[in-house]
Amino acid sequence: MSRRNRRISPLGRFIGKSEFSRLAILAAMFTLTAVLQQNFFETKAIVRNINAFMPLILMTMGQAVVIIAGGLDLSAGTALSLLTCVLTTVMKKSDPLTGVYALAAAFAVAMAIGVINGVGIGYLRIPPVIITFATSYLWLGIGLFLRPVPGGEAVDWFRAFYNAGLVEGVPAWLKAAGAVFPPALVLILIGCALWLIVARTRTGRYLYAVGGNNESAYVSGINTAAVQMRACLINSGFIFLTALFFVGQNQSGDARMGDPLTLRAIASAVVGGIALSGGRGSVFSALVGALIISFVNKIIFFANIPNAFQPLFGGLIVVLAIAGSQAYALSGKRSVEAGRLP
Amino acid sequence: MSGGILRREGALGKFYLVYKKLIIALGLILLLFVLGELTVSNFLSLGQILLTVKLASFIALFALCQMIVIAAGGSGLDLSVGYTATMTAVFTASIMDAQNANLWKAVLVALGVGLAVGLANGLLTAYVKLPPLVVTLAMSNILQGVVNVYTAGHAITGRPSPVLQIVAAKTTGIVPNILFLLALLAPIVMVVLYRTRWGMKLFGAGANPTAAYLSGVNVRLVRCAAFILSGVLASLIGLLLLGNMGIAFKDMGSNYVMPSIAAVVVGGVSLGGGDGNYLGVILGAVFLQTLTNLLVALGWGDAGKWVGFGVVLYVLLIVYVGNRRSR
Repeated sequence: MSRRNRRISPLGRFIGKSEFSRLAILAAMFTLTAVLQQNFFETKAIVRNINAFMPLILMTMGQAVVIIAGGLDLSAGTALSLLTCVLTTVMKKSDPLTGVYALAAAFAVAMAIGVINGVGIGYLRIPPVIITFATSYLWLGIGLFLRPVPGGEAVDWFRAFYNAGLVEGVPAWLKAAGAVFPPALVLILIGCALWLIVARTRTGRYLYAVGGNNESAYVSGINTAAVQMRACLINSGFIFLTALFFVGQNQSGDARMGDPLTLRAIASAVVGGIALSGGRGSVFSALVGALIISFVNKIIFFANIPNAFQPLFGGLIVVLAIAGSQAYALSGKRSVEAGRLP
Repeated sequence: MSGGILRREGALGKFYLVYKKLIIALGLILLLFVLGELTVSNFLSLGQILLTVKLASFIALFALCQMIVIAAGGSGLDLSVGYTATMTAVFTASIMDAQNANLWKAVLVALGVGLAVGLANGLLTAYVKLPPLVVTLAMSNILQGVVNVYTAGHAITGRPSPVLQIVAAKTTGIVPNILFLLALLAPIVMVVLYRTRWGMKLFGAGANPTAAYLSGVNVRLVRCAAFILSGVLASLIGLLLLGNMGIAFKDMGSNYVMPSIAAVVVGGVSLGGGDGNYLGVILGAVFLQTLTNLLVALGWGDAGKWVGFGVVLYVLLIVYVGNRRSR
């Protein structure tokens, strides 16, 4: 007993935590990228990096909420694609007002996506991976209906979600602010604020209870189905924000562009320390994981690998990252627990 | 799954349960045929039906991979079958070079590819305990990357050997030869799964892993073996695909992944593991191919196909797998 209670300095306690190893990895990646990228600390390069990292960060944060609640969303990438298709179908370049309609329509579709996934995962208790695998083809098909080939149009002011400086008629001070403080960062901060609010509510705590042990959460009187439904809706919110950024950047929609993001977001969440079994981690660990994966990709980019090899390396990194994190987590447990039993 | 199995009639109840799903699958196929005949002219001709069954047999073959992995439990699914087949086809096309004499080399390469992919999947899921869907999806991306690297280096050349073309593409009279292969394969699969020790272990590992472990079954090994078998089968199917198409191309197998899983669900196989009625799966494959034909005939194209598959899978998952808490 006495040994247990031995006083450990706050610093020692911090180093002992698993978050420390992840932050250390992140710091190492950050330093390596800073060394490799010559103009890393120039404002322009920082803004460019934030823009490049932002989709993965937001998608990972959304995915994290679902995973914490004991689910997994394989349809996130195609849902993102579908939202870009909806946005660019509703918008007409000539009429700025259509942008507002598009925002409303895309938000409604995003919520519908969350509800359909949430009903399957929460209320009908179908294994999350399988039901979201099924819905991913739904979103793909609907996206292809709207946009058989990539394209479409967007109103001019939608560029504000990517770079306020590109929009005509924006006050000069806002342009100056946008050059330093990119809209992508604002969207990430909105995402963080969303999570901070959720985490303070009862739903925030229930997410962990349901993800940790669905049965005991249920018998303690938590409406587990409703909680998992809310997790799916929050995820949809994050996907919606990402879609705004994408359409702002590309001014077009594509029914297949989101596919690769699904797996990278799951890998980022795992690398950030969110257990796929649910109930552990936070959305900020998702942020750390997404940054690590983004920096790794950046470093690979600097390694000058031919284009044809990039998807292969991307896939290998995902497998190594997930398997490594899982092996690390398993090695920490006692061997009996880690599973002689299947 | 439901209480039916545990009721007093025991085996009889289970028998009924199995047949109920087969009957539902058959009914769905008939429904599609009626719908097709009503909306599209000439939907029910003999030639059309035989073509449907031929295309469905490729789905059924891929679905066999899925069924084995699913039967082993642990929420197993194999999303890498499509690109495993593609990779084998791309690699072996130039090796065969339209010569029967080179077929054995191609088969060896196919076995090697399947073994390697299956082993990697099996180790990562059974021993590192990662979710099979995530692992096999990532594996599929890696294989796609390998195919891209290979095709960036040199053009895909070569044609399948004549024997493969006879088996996969040609017909005897009006019956496609691939149907004979399926007719030969189906009984073998059923006997191996339901009448041998290996099949028993596979179902045991799926139905109740703890009980199987306590009665001496190496559950992790069985699950790993299931993935290896799936990989090898998928790789061999790649040879057949090549034989059917005559040439290899980059995405030749990827469109079969979703249908292969949907076929297993439509066929009434429990996704929780522990059973595997291949006849139902074949019916599921026929249903999906008929659905595809109908949607294509209606002019809905790719979009309609994926929406249709998504809706069918979602609804059937609700009916078969949905497990609502009663209050």
